[in-house]
Amino acid sequence: MLYIDNLTKVYRRGVRANDSISLAVAGGELLGLLGHNGAGKTTLLNQVVGLARPTGGTITLLGRDPVAEPAWARSVCSFQPQAHAPLTGVTVRQAIESIGRIRGGHRRAVRRRTTELLAALDIEQWADQPGERLSGGVRRLTAFCMAVVQPGRLVMLDEPTNDVDPARRRLLWAQVRELAAAGHGVVLVTHNIAEAERVIDTVVILDRGRVTATGPPAALAPDRQLRLEVSGTAAPTVPAWALRTRRAGDRLTITLAAEHAQLAVAWAASVTSHFSLNPVGLEEFYLTLTANPEANVDATLVP
Amino acid sequence: MRHWFRSYLLLLRWSAIRLRYLLSLVLVVQIFLSVGIVLGFAFLLPQIDPATARYLATGAPTLGLITIGMVMAPQLVATAKTEGTFTYHQTLPVPRTAVVLSEVTTWLVVGAPGLLLGLLVAVLRFDLTLRVSWLAVPAAVLVALAATTVGLAIAYAAAPPVTNMVTQLIVFIALMFSPINFPADRLPEWLQTIHQVLPFQHMAQVVRDSLTAGPAGVPAAPYAVLAAWCALGFAATLHIMTRRD
Repeated sequence: MLYIDNLTKVYRRGVRANDSISLAVAGGELLGLLGHNGAGKTTLLNQVVGLARPTGGTITLLGRDPVAEPAWARSVCSFQPQAHAPLTGVTVRQAIESIGRIRGGHRRAVRRRTTELLAALDIEQWADQPGERLSGGVRRLTAFCMAVVQPGRLVMLDEPTNDVDPARRRLLWAQVRELAAAGHGVVLVTHNIAEAERVIDTVVILDRGRVTATGPPAALAPDRQLRLEVSGTAAPTVPAWALRTRRAGDRLTITLAAEHAQLAVAWAASVTSHFSLNPVGLEEFYLTLTANPEANVDATLVP
Repeated sequence: MRHWFRSYLLLLRWSAIRLRYLLSLVLVVQIFLSVGIVLGFAFLLPQIDPATARYLATGAPTLGLITIGMVMAPQLVATAKTEGTFTYHQTLPVPRTAVVLSEVTTWLVVGAPGLLLGLLVAVLRFDLTLRVSWLAVPAAVLVALAATTVGLAIAYAAAPPVTNMVTQLIVFIALMFSPINFPADRLPEWLQTIHQVLPFQHMAQVVRDSLTAGPAGVPAAPYAVLAAWCALGFAATLHIMTRRD
């Protein structure tokens, strides 16, 4: 559905926001775009939807060129921008219904879908409250509804779970998954890696404008590694089976191979009574990858 | 075409819902302004002859339209830019011309009541007889269009704080240094020359002529200048709206 090939974007002041990015999203696929602030995620989305013009490379959306036809691109792509949606003076329901209609939906279908979404995200109690009286989380959920009330073939969500409480984040992930199940291609930008890991099909990790890793989350997360967290102890000597260690205040985090689990538990119990042992997930991989100086050799500034 | 019109109407409705409180406030302020200029300027002048009355009565609604289009509309766009509304609307699947025209329409509607009330008060206050020509409505629409398109172009092009300052400057120039409420020959010659190009004098003239001169004696030149400003404002606005970083 969406093919991005060698996409490069250099802003006028010389910032290389995207550097030879290639990725593909199929219908029914949920692609998660991860990266630090300033990694180029939003720039990438803005080019697909015609808010920014690529410096090089090509974008193909449903067989057509969204760079040449930005108006068409907007008609097949629903976008939830990172900035807050305009909700001042309108109620949650009015905002969702109005944008649903503007996105081409029929009155009755939009009304029905709005009611369904409000129920699915458990925000019915705020349905008739004006936007300025809502909390950040409810505003964000409303913006999500505005993007998906009449979803395009491609749906792009820029940090949809920011400010949202944990219970409703789960409801939102379920809705995102349903979009994919209905055949929409979904591109999701998020910093909520631990949760996103469970819903996305493919991960693309951006670092300073470049793709540093791509693949299914299960394939990227290091196999059979564990993370031991030890706290409330003065600096113990690091055991030989530790693969990596990280210290934050009085908390020591040790990454180890799964076969050393028993050794690790015995060692941890001998130095403190506060410790936990967990499997390493995508987030760990992400942090390792983006902290690795080898991945950061490319300068972001062009002379 | 059907998609365009549907988008235009839905955007109008969306603005009306979003801005209903603010726009009703603007409407009230605008009425005060039009009526206030008529009554206020009358205090400034010791005696008011029919010619002065003619200028004041038609200058007030003109200034009202300028304030709406070149101050209030751009300031609202500046706020929309700061809040992110502006960018949000750029991601919607609607023609950009529909976005601009729905905005212009909103301001035309908001500007109309003040214009009519200002005129009514002037007629009562100065005991003035208007000779309204058929051109009165097109003239008022043209003035409102020119003011709004130029105002939006400024707001779209400039950063929000700059817009807010520039619009203050515009209203100051229009009110004090433009031949709107008084004849152009009272100004120094160099300023008269500048006003040949600026829209203010022409705005005042088309409103004044169409309301008081009768069907005869309405020169075409000011209409042409205003149409050019309209075209310029609209083109600049559209260019900025469709520009990509």
